[in-house]
Amino acid sequence: MQESQMSLQDLQNNTDSFDPTVTNDDFLDQMLSGLQTTVSWSDVSGGDGDGGQNKSTLPWDVDHFDDQSAILSSKLRQHQITGSAGGRAPASALKSLQLPRGLGSTGESGLFPNDNIDDSNFKSPMGDNSSIQNLFHGFTGSLTSNQTPQFRHLPAQTFGSPGAAAAAVMNQVQAASVSAGGGGGGAPSQPRQRVRARRGQATDPHSIAERLRRERIAERMKALQELVPNANKTDKASMLDEIIDYVKFLQLQVKVLSMSRLGGAAAGAIAPGGAEGGGRTGRSSNGTVSSSNNNDTMMVTENQVVKLMEEDMGSAMQYLQGKGLCLMPISLATAISTATCHPSSSRNNHPLGSAGGGEGGGPSSPNMSVLTVQSANGVSVKDSP
Amino acid sequence: MNLCQQNANSKEAKMHNSCQLEKEFINKWVQGLQICNSSSKKMNLLERKKKIKLSADIAIASAKNLTTSWSKAIISEATKDEQNMTLVKNVCGPESKFMYAHQKVTSHKRTTSKKILKKCYGVHRKMKKMEPCRGSNLATCIAKRLVKKRTQVLKRLVPGGELMDEYSVIKEALDYILSLKVQVDVMKNLVNVTTSLS
Repeated sequence: MQESQMSLQDLQNNTDSFDPTVTNDDFLDQMLSGLQTTVSWSDVSGGDGDGGQNKSTLPWDVDHFDDQSAILSSKLRQHQITGSAGGRAPASALKSLQLPRGLGSTGESGLFPNDNIDDSNFKSPMGDNSSIQNLFHGFTGSLTSNQTPQFRHLPAQTFGSPGAAAAAVMNQVQAASVSAGGGGGGAPSQPRQRVRARRGQATDPHSIAERLRRERIAERMKALQELVPNANKTDKASMLDEIIDYVKFLQLQVKVLSMSRLGGAAAGAIAPGGAEGGGRTGRSSNGTVSSSNNNDTMMVTENQVVKLMEEDMGSAMQYLQGKGLCLMPISLATAISTATCHPSSSRNNHPLGSAGGGEGGGPSSPNMSVLTVQSANGVSVKDSP
Repeated sequence: MNLCQQNANSKEAKMHNSCQLEKEFINKWVQGLQICNSSSKKMNLLERKKKIKLSADIAIASAKNLTTSWSKAIISEATKDEQNMTLVKNVCGPESKFMYAHQKVTSHKRTTSKKILKKCYGVHRKMKKMEPCRGSNLATCIAKRLVKKRTQVLKRLVPGGELMDEYSVIKEALDYILSLKVQVDVMKNLVNVTTSLS
């Protein structure tokens, strides 16, 4: 408990750079997702975009909410507003708050049979602490498997001093569970008082300027949140991550689109005559840029791509782009490979079809399918970055 | 409820802005493409792609009328190459924008020298930072470092981002994302149109 309080103070004390949003959200993450990871938040609101929208106003409304508990409650409320998906969140949040206590009790009940079994062990060798250690390890194990590192320290500390008698052991277990639960329950109230005290002192111009700056940044991040898809992250670092990925993705799209038949056709449509001739010759030279016929390398590439796709779609696409390849729906691939009449035009159609195909999935999610040109010639459109 | 209404209003305003931006972008881009194609007849895929992308970038940047610094960065970047001068001139319009572009270059030099100086002192600062990182502080230290790393990456991505502080980078990134979206939408529509035509 001490450590959580201290960390909160330190968080509040950090006046340089980033924002109370980070500190608030770290604290919130600890409290609300105490027993789960922060995935719970993104899981809940990942599904519905509207939920993200509604929630987006919250995390950085530093003006409106002055203390942690208000932020907590409002977050829960916002989740509730978002409907069924949100309904899960407050339930899970409340559950996670209660769980430290619950675990303590289940730990107790779970351990009681152990106590009964180990009683005989205690009574005979009084100096034997190994069974007590096992008890505590079991308890620690059940707690630590679910809790954040901060809570992990609590059982370890309380277990540091085992009693010799069975009664003492049981008391220790109870005390540990109570303190674990109390730590969970007490932590939100106590730091709240400290936050208030801290903020009351923030009247000097330096910290006011700092706060202003942080609020401006928070505003910007809020606006960005509306632009970028998957922007339900409450953490500044992950928001930045999303922004970076999105910018990379858009830039990649522009590159790919400019590689397609677009330019030639556009020039042809707009300035007929010489430009069209130039465009046509450009197009015809598309297909013969490079060829890779090796099946082995294709397999290796495929495996690499699959691995990358599991982590992050954007990096997979970049990898493919670096190789000069792309992804394509199988139906389109078969259609193209069977098309024999206009090889050049069919190859040029690929980017278009893929762009259209990828578009359907959602305008901004980086699931754009560019294509694999697995045609009979084994031609691949090469692009040197 | 008020928040929802506000969101809706801002969205409408944004859409209006982006429509305008799209129109300007299309006009300028078409101009740029015409110039590109009139210059050389035969281009292979790479060159064509570069030209298209370049004209698109210049078009979108000039459509902003130099209100944002990323657009200025793009144009100054383009004007460094002598070949692109005609393109830039015709697309942007023969205004004093080039003077500004050259100014940007000199300021860039100043900031790079500043960055070198910063690096010398930065090591010292890092040493100072590491000392007060106790166990309870470790999480915040790590968080800060993460955020810092990502802002650096973002700075590299956004054109002209390295010259700005983090707050402006976020603002610029916002605008840049909007314009990239406009670019992509226009290009996609054009592609669809041309496929349906042929």
